[in-house]
Amino acid sequence: MLAVAGFAGFVVFRVQTVLNYHWSWGFIPNTILRYDADRGWVANLLLQGLLTTLRLSAWSMLLACVFGVAIAVGRISTQLLPRLVSGAYVELMRNTPPLVLIFVGYFFVSSQIMPLLGIDAFVRTAQPGTLELIFWLFGEPRLLKNFLSATMVLALFEGAYVAEILRAGIQSVEQGQWDAARALGLGRWACLRLVVLPQAFARMVPPLGGQMISLVKDSSIVSLISIQDLTFMANDVAVSTTRLFETWITTSALYFAVCLLLSTGFRRLERRLAR
Amino acid sequence: MHRRTLLAAAGATAATALIRPAFAATTLIDEIKARGTLRAGLSTFVPWAMRDKTGKLIGYELDVGTRLASDLGVKYEPMPTAWDGIIPALLAGSFDLIIGGMTVTPAREQSVDFTEAYSFTGVAIVASKKVAPGLTSLDAFNKPSLTVVARRGTPAATLAQEKLPLATLRQFDDDAPALQEVLNGNAAAWLTSAPKPAFAAVDHPDALYLPVEKPLTAQRDAMAMRKGEPATMAVINQWIAARKADGFLAERFHYWFEQRSWLPLVQS
Repeated sequence: MLAVAGFAGFVVFRVQTVLNYHWSWGFIPNTILRYDADRGWVANLLLQGLLTTLRLSAWSMLLACVFGVAIAVGRISTQLLPRLVSGAYVELMRNTPPLVLIFVGYFFVSSQIMPLLGIDAFVRTAQPGTLELIFWLFGEPRLLKNFLSATMVLALFEGAYVAEILRAGIQSVEQGQWDAARALGLGRWACLRLVVLPQAFARMVPPLGGQMISLVKDSSIVSLISIQDLTFMANDVAVSTTRLFETWITTSALYFAVCLLLSTGFRRLERRLAR
Repeated sequence: MHRRTLLAAAGATAATALIRPAFAATTLIDEIKARGTLRAGLSTFVPWAMRDKTGKLIGYELDVGTRLASDLGVKYEPMPTAWDGIIPALLAGSFDLIIGGMTVTPAREQSVDFTEAYSFTGVAIVASKKVAPGLTSLDAFNKPSLTVVARRGTPAATLAQEKLPLATLRQFDDDAPALQEVLNGNAAAWLTSAPKPAFAAVDHPDALYLPVEKPLTAQRDAMAMRKGEPATMAVINQWIAARKADGFLAERFHYWFEQRSWLPLVQS
């Protein structure tokens, strides 16, 4: 403990001497929560960005699990075509840099697929109650199209990793379990649903937890396609106030807090499944 | 034989479905008025556009855009966008115009149409007293031992590549890290649009100095829109001419670029 504290102190000292920087932390609390004369305590840029990141990560993970299940089932299929298609999808998503995927995917999705869904028209003609619900679930209604495009692209990207985790979990269940289930007369789907998946689930939880934490951090890539997540807002604050280091250190602390919470949650889940 | 003709018939029917009747498309200005909001893309570029302490966007381009929207009778909706992807975002239809201090360059003119220029700045340079003291011209920085920094995708970066081929150019996605590099003594000079170098030299008189007082190039900044909108272009150009004539643009330019009484709004 003392050694770690000593090392940290040394790093801080060295950084101070090398950097020509005047530290000033006073403005940070205001960037998270500010007091508005009319509305009381209001979330300011960093907190708004954090909420967007949380919403984006939650919806992407949900959608990624859906894609992941479909692709994993394709990967372990007995037929050639599902295996080939899902294999191609996984290899494409895993071996392409996420930045390229996000850039190309986002522009494709938002200009080709989103107009077909008619999101803009829906938001324009929605009732106030619906708009309120959209605000809580997805963020600002006028940015709904961008948010959904980014969610879809992130989910497509992460879905490949989730599929591999699910496949590994399923394939780690001993062949003996399959044989025993078949001996009882269960069909392939029933085997999967009643015998194999429940056992595989406990094995999948640690890597899935890691993938979700990774997703929260990867979601910062969407700041390059102008989704106003925590990284985008932090950049705006850092550039406007010219206080680079304080803003970015605070932002890292916020990401760290979110990921630590997730990590603790998953550890609790693992412990419950191990019982 | 029978199957082949059937296939051909099916193909022809499918093809006719793709032929859409050509009707008059609505112009951009009609779309804006029908929607009731003008959506403009911009990026954080002090003092063209930045965030104040309440999180609101303020700056020269915000004043220009708000005035344009109110003169057109619609609401103004600024859409903060990463500068690297702002032209693709415009072409993909994320917003109507780019009102963010975009400089007219031939390369950009191939993808978008620019309005009349309404703001005239230029690339300027500020240098480090520690690393490259006492230099008085741009060419003095053209040495292999010197590193210069600029923001990626801006005319400053292009100028550095053209005029300082021997120096090492490091590009950043934003100006603030670039300035920090010069302050830390890792780079000799920072090239960016005026008036930032002058502001930086005033803020850090012990670390920075201005090798050349005046801007090195003349830049014309204008609004950008998708190609093929002549009616909208005419409306906006007429508005720009009117605002130049009544002095609105000059007054706003002076407020944001030639003095810094707005600084307390942004920094504590």
